[in-house]
Amino acid sequence: MAFLFARNKQRSAQELVKSTKELLQRLIRGDGPPQKVEEDLARNISQMKITLQGTPDIEASPQAVFDLVSHAVSESLLPLLVENIHRLPFEARKDIQAVVSTVFRFRNQGSVSNEPDALNHVLHKQPEIIISLCNGYEKKESASSCGGILKEILRYDAVAAVILYDEPSSDGRTVDIFNDVDVTRRSSGNGVFWKFFTWIDKSSFEVSADAFDCFRLILTKHKALVSQYITTNFDMFFTKYNDILIKSDSYVTKRQSLKLLGEILLDRQFYEVMTRYVDSGENLKLIMWQLKDDRRMVQYEGFHVFKIFAANPNKSYEVSKFLVMNKQRLLRFLPRFLEERTDDDQFNDEKAWLVKAIGNLPDSTSALKPPNGSVSGSADAIQQQQHQTAQARS
Amino acid sequence: MATADDYQVLEELGSGSFGIVYKAIEKATGDLVAIKHIDLEGSDDDIREIQQEISLLATCSSDYVTRYKASFVRNTKLWIVMEFLGGGSCLDLLRPGPMEEMYIAIILRELLMALSYLHETGKIHRDIKAANVLLSDNGRVKIADFGVAAQLTNIKSQRLTFVGTPFWMAPEVIQEHGYDYKADIWSLGITAMEMALGEPPRSDIHPMKVLFLIPKEKPPRLEGNKWSKELKDFVARCLNKEAEQRPSAKALLKHPFIRKAGPTDRLRELISKVRHFESRGHESDRDLRYYEETLRPMNGVHMDDEDEDEWVFDTIRPHATMKKHTIKRRRLERIPSGDAANGELDDATLALREMSLENAPLGGISNSPGLQTPSRMPSTIRTPKTRQSSGQRKISAQMARKISGHVVGSPSPVTRKMSRQISGQTPTAVRRASRQMSGATPTARRISSQQPQPKQPLGVDMSFGNGTSTVRQFKRVSSGQPAKKLLAAGDDSIDENPHDSDAENHPPPTRDQPPAQPAVAATKEAILGRRSYAKCVDPAFQEVSTNTADSKKQAAISKVAEAWSELDQIDPEGELLLLKAILDRIQADPKLTGALLPQRAASTQLQSLRTASPTKKGSIRVATAEIAGSSPQPLTPSKNRRGSELPLAGSPSPTKSPTKLVLNPQNPHLKMMRSSQALQEAQVQQKAVAQKPTKEKDLLDEKMPGKQPEPGMEHVSLLADVLYGRWTEGLKARWPMS
Repeated sequence: MAFLFARNKQRSAQELVKSTKELLQRLIRGDGPPQKVEEDLARNISQMKITLQGTPDIEASPQAVFDLVSHAVSESLLPLLVENIHRLPFEARKDIQAVVSTVFRFRNQGSVSNEPDALNHVLHKQPEIIISLCNGYEKKESASSCGGILKEILRYDAVAAVILYDEPSSDGRTVDIFNDVDVTRRSSGNGVFWKFFTWIDKSSFEVSADAFDCFRLILTKHKALVSQYITTNFDMFFTKYNDILIKSDSYVTKRQSLKLLGEILLDRQFYEVMTRYVDSGENLKLIMWQLKDDRRMVQYEGFHVFKIFAANPNKSYEVSKFLVMNKQRLLRFLPRFLEERTDDDQFNDEKAWLVKAIGNLPDSTSALKPPNGSVSGSADAIQQQQHQTAQARS
Repeated sequence: MATADDYQVLEELGSGSFGIVYKAIEKATGDLVAIKHIDLEGSDDDIREIQQEISLLATCSSDYVTRYKASFVRNTKLWIVMEFLGGGSCLDLLRPGPMEEMYIAIILRELLMALSYLHETGKIHRDIKAANVLLSDNGRVKIADFGVAAQLTNIKSQRLTFVGTPFWMAPEVIQEHGYDYKADIWSLGITAMEMALGEPPRSDIHPMKVLFLIPKEKPPRLEGNKWSKELKDFVARCLNKEAEQRPSAKALLKHPFIRKAGPTDRLRELISKVRHFESRGHESDRDLRYYEETLRPMNGVHMDDEDEDEWVFDTIRPHATMKKHTIKRRRLERIPSGDAANGELDDATLALREMSLENAPLGGISNSPGLQTPSRMPSTIRTPKTRQSSGQRKISAQMARKISGHVVGSPSPVTRKMSRQISGQTPTAVRRASRQMSGATPTARRISSQQPQPKQPLGVDMSFGNGTSTVRQFKRVSSGQPAKKLLAAGDDSIDENPHDSDAENHPPPTRDQPPAQPAVAATKEAILGRRSYAKCVDPAFQEVSTNTADSKKQAAISKVAEAWSELDQIDPEGELLLLKAILDRIQADPKLTGALLPQRAASTQLQSLRTASPTKKGSIRVATAEIAGSSPQPLTPSKNRRGSELPLAGSPSPTKSPTKLVLNPQNPHLKMMRSSQALQEAQVQQKAVAQKPTKEKDLLDEKMPGKQPEPGMEHVSLLADVLYGRWTEGLKARWPMS
């Protein structure tokens, strides 16, 4: 283990990276006995992991870490590793996750950039690695490792931005989020972000759940960025969200996406998104059907979205109409809705409040003003309302 | 993608708070597997937690760790497929007594291999103990149960979360100063002692107190001549309070005690010894229960008659709706029937079930508050109508849990629920939680309400249908104030809800429509009141009315019905009070109980039916005796927990495990014991009551139907019979075996 000795470090780190790269390329080309190549690769990668992290008994040396990180970055080893992760055996995949994650975490002393230095460099020079990580959800072999790396770096806005503003380009280059992003331009819907809907919908339970977790992180950890993005791409986003996630046949996807929807809409940062969402009668219909789902937790999560429609003091004509048309039904339905939640005071208070609020609606749709032009009202009132509900829920 | 069709599910292996484990065959390979079923509907918790456990397991690939095969969701159940290990847990192997050192050395070596694998891949197990060590038939040793395990992002990073099982927890974990993989080494040392002694050190002390002692006192040691120097030294090295000075798993593999360990085959001797031990009658009788596909989605139900109205979005369909309402109105004129037009049978069944609430094997409310038997989760009941009573049942279940918290000391800190709960929180929150746990203060309720609804652990299902709930769901109707409060509520609602938005669909109001405005049912009591009317009273009136030929009598009934309906409109809370009062009095009178609530007998039968084991068939008493005779199967929480993970067909055992101190409140035997105690109490009480009948009761006797049908009221006695008949029919339909 020559690389552990200070004198050889420089050369060893460089050699390690170089030989790993070569081996990867041989693996891709199918050059040489695959088993042997895989084994050698696995050994190299495991060695990198030990260099970067140490072992339970041996501390990693900062100098060795620095050397390896700088070589891995300058030789563009990481994209290659990530793209081929599915070709490698089980333990090597986990080691790649450890290596890439550790490199992304690397920070020079005194560094003050938003992101750790290595990640920062990658975001500027090799943003395609973020896209490759997302594409890891395509295969069940790579999903867990790529997802693990992604979820860790998703705490940085720039990573979310790369995912959101990715667009397929003719030259295969990934969008440079630091220079050429126009946040007011609508997405084509072909970027990597939109693939998450498919991954969540079509994958096996493990992959789907992992992809959803990632999707949730993208939406909830970068509120300013995401609310701008959703506002720009409102129709496409919610069409997909409603049709693919909320209407999903998978219990887990349905339940989780309803919950996430409730969380997003009740967040002050998503105020504009919320008002647009609860203006739509179609959305209300969809949510009201969820109240009638035959699974309690779906009903429950649906309730937390439904209450926002009902609590909105400036309901659109369409929404008011649907509520009024169903007033008696709701008044019969709600008191018996999820009655077994006797211990959930919060829920019962909200339910009682809803019953009252719906009771106060006019009896007939003729009392409603048909839509003509300005719906603008006291936006503050909604916000207050929403805020109260949010507080109530938290 | 794996699906349920890939597996042939066989019998149940065990169950725990998080689900039931079944043995199954993987059709493609013929391999035996263990499948854990987790009902995701059973918990409010984020599915993410379970997901994390799965992903942690899925990233383990070692011969020393129970192998994860697949997971998928079927309906609302998550299936987790694991390898099947037939040799039992290490705790099972301790059943006949402490282990010989030869075996301890082998097991420890294998555990060290497992730990060194986990630690090298940045995982901390955090709950190493004998119960979490499983063996295969041929003696391979594997670590199981990653319920509280952690994946470190960096091998050097530390954790703060307070998780584990008290007796096995390392001081630094308890002190929350930050800890790393060395915490597992401490737990391994305790496990070594557990194997040598049969139980962990300080097992006679309450686990909450142990939490204080571990950081404060000197670390435990194996002392005396019974043990070799090497084992004592091994233990001493693991149990070093300075985490840094504890050797790593890899280093410990070189310890002399470990180096002299033999091959794992030798554990087969131990396994067969234990089997032999069990077969000599020590085996607690255990019901072999087979997997049964849930026939219908359980809660598909929620909706009955009126609820089947779908939402209306397009146009108002005057014809359809009008017609319906007209019919209702017409009925109203005769008897206020609400909307029970359809589904009378179901309503009847329900009415019965509601009545039968009284009929639980435990007696009066006031006398046995702590002895309530939590009934089974609605999810396991295979009737579409369960929701009607499940709400009420759940209250009692919850109450029982709360109460048992008081009685037993504290909710067991060992249960997975709790540790999960804790693991999710920040250290401070955890502190709070644990204080609540131990104090059993009123706030403890918060915790229990957040917990995932526990599944019923192994044991007798006492809950089907009329199960065990009692009236206590009417808990908060106080005696003095309600009148005022209710009035106020009534007034409010008149102001607030004067309109009827379906007005356009109604025919003009009929003349004899009750003048009162319906009160909005806002409180729980009011909602229950409304429900009792819709589900019991109204259908009952209808039933009686249709069975009455004489027009005079019918008119009389209609009057009562009308009056009741008015009561329901104005004061559902009062209605509930009234019902409760009536039911209380019925229950207090044994004769009436016998005549009106004949299902008591049936419910006892039911229980014995569920208890497949012939020894238990006769009555619950037998089971009670077993418990009282101290434990053929005191399922300790740790046992339960293990059971939930554990792919072996071993039976619950008379463990000397210290965790017996904290019986899981959900423990079926505890419950059984409580409920039969309560039953006895109730019987005694009833006798007492019967001996001095009061005037009031005489009056009631006269009035109540069933016993002495007075002229003009004969039909009423039929009511109970009819309802009972339907109920049993329903039962047969759902339960062909019975």
